[in-house]
Formats: sequence, structure tokens, C-alpha cells
Amino acid sequence: MFTNIAHASEVAKETAEATAESGVLASLGINGTLFIFQLVNFALVALILWFLILKPLTKKMAERQKMIDDSIDNAKKIETNLGASEKKYQEKIDQAKVDANKIIEKASLESLAVAEVAKEKTRKEIEQLVETARKNIKTEREESINEIKEQTASLVVAAAEKILGTKVDASKDEKIIDEAVKSMK
Amino acid sequence: MSEIHIPTLAPETIFHIGKFPITNTMVNVWLAIALFLILGLFLRKQIKLKPGKTQNFIEYFLEKLFVYFDQVTGSRKKTMQFLPITGSIFFFILLSNWLGLLPGTGSIFVGEAPLLRPANTDLNLTVAMALVSVISSHLFGLFSVGVFTHLNKFIQIGTFFKSLTKGPIAIFTAIIELVVGLIEIISEMAKVLSLSLRLFGNIFAGEVLITVISSIAVAIVPAPFMMLELLVGLIQASVFTMLTLVYLTVLTTKPHGSHDEEKH
Repeated sequence: MFTNIAHASEVAKETAEATAESGVLASLGINGTLFIFQLVNFALVALILWFLILKPLTKKMAERQKMIDDSIDNAKKIETNLGASEKKYQEKIDQAKVDANKIIEKASLESLAVAEVAKEKTRKEIEQLVETARKNIKTEREESINEIKEQTASLVVAAAEKILGTKVDASKDEKIIDEAVKSMK
Repeated sequence: MSEIHIPTLAPETIFHIGKFPITNTMVNVWLAIALFLILGLFLRKQIKLKPGKTQNFIEYFLEKLFVYFDQVTGSRKKTMQFLPITGSIFFFILLSNWLGLLPGTGSIFVGEAPLLRPANTDLNLTVAMALVSVISSHLFGLFSVGVFTHLNKFIQIGTFFKSLTKGPIAIFTAIIELVVGLIEIISEMAKVLSLSLRLFGNIFAGEVLITVISSIAVAIVPAPFMMLELLVGLIQASVFTMLTLVYLTVLTTKPHGSHDEEKH
């Protein structure tokens, strides 16, 4: 009996609810309890979709985008630095070339000067040698002349002694002198 | 010919948990929740900076979607700001619409009611989503443009009081604006109605169509209609999402002639 009463009360309650909600909304299926359920269901879907799928994905996409942007920025910086380095390198190379040319020019001038000095020195040495040789030749010549003179004198003396010793006539004397002179030549 | 079971406007209760009725549309929603949960847990482990095939496909789809969203919001920042609402709405409507085309929907019965029925053929769900859409647009609006500016779009009392010092024409204009504001309030209610009824009507009509066609010819003939329903599912998800995005964008934009714009 109690069961029947309980069942009857439930039926009455449902009937009352149906009556209250009857009309356009009820005919379209709008029901307060179902509406709350579906709202909760949608909230659950939204939470799952956002926290498990959309948020991690968009976060990862943003991270990747940031990484790509940073990489592009870094690449640009590196490119700029490389350009500056190349410019600097080229400047250094140009400067080095200029310096090298200067050094070569200076060395060339110095070598010319050194060569000139060496040439002058050599010329002076040669002149000195020539002078010395001349002096030597002159001395030797003088010595030779002196020796010849001495020998000539000795010959003249010997020839004179011979002339005087043999007491020949004038023609003989002249002949002896000629011979002495000839022997001198 | 088998008996035609035309779906009723109200979802059918298939069982009760305690006092609470469980309808066949709810089963469909739970199925969608389960699928999202599985996908979410799968992605949680898979998501990397260097994406795999699945992640790449989803990201590609998201990128394409964001481009459309950007066209409405005007900026990627706003698109991302609204994404928790718009993304959830879009993917949920899309999946639940497509789940309605699964074999067994409308044909497996528990008692006299079918076990599965497309979730959006339940006006309770579409109204719930429409309310979330409209209320969230107002909340975003309140936080973005400020309480006074936002409320002044509907109850233009501030404009009215300011006009009192500017002469009769300004007062007349302010009175008209006050009435326009009241019409705006009605249009906000209409937003909920139009969003929910449009989605419900389209999906319900599709379900009725498929049921009728399937009862006439079981194989091959329903296929083109099911293909059409795939398209309708996508279009309805896009329409609901885009309209939500429009509401969010409009209400988070400062009105013309506001103090900040005058400063600029």
C-alpha cells in the first residue's frame, strides 16, 4: 500500500511538473533539469577541449612561432655581423695591402740606397787598388830604372876599365863603347 | 517497409539515474566527451615542439581555422583570447553533428526510444550553448571596455544626462538612443533564440530527413543525404562559432565616440 502511495505521489509530482512546463517550451523539449545537465555537459566539453587539446596545442604553436621568430632574428643578426666582419676583414686586407706596398716601396728604396752605398764603396776600393797598383808599378819601374842605371853605370865602368886596360886605338875604343851600349839594350 | 520512427522535438528519456532523467542526446554528448578525452590524453603525450603526423594535421586545421577567426576579430590576439569559448563551441558542435551520422543513431532502441540521437537535436543543449555564447560575450565586453561603457550600449542614461546641457536636439537624440538601447536588449535575447533555434532546426531537420530516407531505402539512397549532413554539420558549427565570434568582437570593441576614441 505504501509502495502504491509512493508511486502515486511520484506520478502526481511528474504530472504536476509536466503541467507546469507545458506550453511552447515543453513542446520543444525544454526542461529545467535537462537544461542544467546539458549546460554542465557543455562546460565539461569546453574544459576538456581547452585544457587537454586547444591550450597545449596553441601553447606549443606559440612556442614554435617564438622559436622561429627568434631564429630569424638571430639569423638576421648573424648575417649583419657577418657582413660587418667581412667589411672589417676587407678593410684589414686593404690596409695590409697598402702597408705591404709601403714596406715593399721602402725596402726597394732602402735596397737601392744600400746598393748605391755598396757601389760607391766598391768603386772607392777599386780606385784605391788601382792607385796602389799604379804606385807599385811606378815604384817597380823606378826601381828597375835605378837598377838599369846602376847596371849601366857598372857596365860603363867596366867598359871604361876595359878600354883603359887594353890601350887600343880610337876606333877600337869607340867599338867597345858601342858594344857596351848595345849590351845594355 | 519498416515502421518509421520520426524523432520527437523533445529528446527521449532512455533511463534514470536516481531522479534524474538521462536522454539519448545526453548519451551522444557523453560519447563526444569521451572522444575528446581520449584525443586529449593521447595528444598530451604526443605534443612536441617538432610535431608528429597527428599533431601536424590538427595544427594545420587549427591554423586554417584561426585565419577565418582572424578575419572576424581583426587580430590574432583577440582570436586567442576568445578561443576557449569559440574553439570549444566549434569542435563540440562539429563532432556531435558528425556523431549523429554514426551507424546505430536512430536505429538502436532502448525500450521505445533510440539509444543515440544527435546532441544538437536537443534544444536544451543548443540553448545552453547560445546562453554561454551571449553571456560570455557580455562578460568579455564588461572586462574589455569597462562596466559603464558596456552598460551604456543598452541603457544610455549617461548619454541622456550629458545631453541635458546641450540643448533640445541633443535631448531628443538621447531619448531616441535610450529607446534604441532598449531594442538592443531585446536583440540580445533574440541572439540566444536565433543561435539555438537555427542549430536545433537544421540538425533536427537533417535527422528527420535521414530517418525518413532510411525508412524508404535502407542502403545507398541515404548516402548522398548523409554526405549533405556532413556538410550541414560543418556549416552549422561554423555559423554558430562565427556568430559567437562576432558577438564577442562587437561587445569588446569600444563604441564610436567613446572617451578613449575621442582622445585618439
